[in-house]
Amino acid sequence: MRAETLKGHLDGILLAVLEPGPRHGYAIMEALRIRSGGQVDLPTGTVYPALHRLERAGLVRATWSAAGGRRRRVYQLTPAGRRALDSERTTWRDFSAAVTALLQPAPPAASSP
Amino acid sequence: MNRQGGTAPEAGSAVERYLAEITALLPGPPRARAGIVAELRSGLLDATDAHRSAGLPPAQAALAAIREFGDPARVAAGFKAEVAAGHARRVAISLLATGPLVGLLWVATALSSHLGVRAAPWQWAGQSPGLRVGICLVAVAVGITAWAAVLGIATTGRLSRWLPARPRRAPTAAAVAGFGAVGADGLGLLLLATQLATTSGKLSPIPAAAAAAASLARLTLARRAARRCLAIRASLT
Repeated sequence: MRAETLKGHLDGILLAVLEPGPRHGYAIMEALRIRSGGQVDLPTGTVYPALHRLERAGLVRATWSAAGGRRRRVYQLTPAGRRALDSERTTWRDFSAAVTALLQPAPPAASSP
Repeated sequence: MNRQGGTAPEAGSAVERYLAEITALLPGPPRARAGIVAELRSGLLDATDAHRSAGLPPAQAALAAIREFGDPARVAAGFKAEVAAGHARRVAISLLATGPLVGLLWVATALSSHLGVRAAPWQWAGQSPGLRVGICLVAVAVGITAWAAVLGIATTGRLSRWLPARPRRAPTAAAVAGFGAVGADGLGLLLLATQLATTSGKLSPIPAAAAAAASLARLTLARRAARRCLAIRASLT
């Protein structure tokens, strides 16, 4: 899946990946790949600016941690981030239900005058 | 390089070359860039480790990690708006925080200098039309600074989620706030100089000197910050 296809949904996807617990940048990327069954394969370098944007918007909190001898920036959801994830989910469900209904092959017109 | 933790030196230098390419494309102060580059470095080393665990030799693993991170220009472009917003936010916050302090020093100067004058405060400025106009101009400059700084802070924080992404908005607001502060402090110093020339005996020296020093320092810093905001703004396409 290309970055353009994901545009507009990346924020929600990143928040969802962080829902189970804190992760650093590369672990977020790996979780994206695994959870999408390999469908989502963005240039890893473009995920970091998106994380910084979420941090500025107060949806995630980042802290430097030195576990395992390498300093990594670890991201975790804030309460505002959890709320934003909930609303992203609702929006996506409504949207995808509507589009699914619209894209279904229409039954043949039974009685056209 | 000990940071590489066992990665071959040529692999590490490929990573460093890639990071240097991104650094060269990032705008803003070195401090902001250092944090971004450190984070990307740790990510690249994690990616290199992952490729090594998958069986690649160190040099190829590093190259695979670099490929995975993507075009340096694209990574830098993603960060440009973030650097701009972060810098603008810091500038706006420091202008908004220092404004009242500098203002208080000027008020203290005015109060202590006029203790001997038997007139109500609103009549002091009335003594000289030039001073009155000058104080009005300072008030306008202070108003512009405060308004632009509040705008810069509001649009780079939590509100940014609900606003259309316009990367130039924050550096523009911060630059306006910076030049507004330059105007306010410059006018304050100018008024002080004219007062010194005309009615020097009435000024109390200690608050006046403190206010002048504070305004001069703020003017210098605000000018530099505003110029940097304009430079960052120009780098955004």
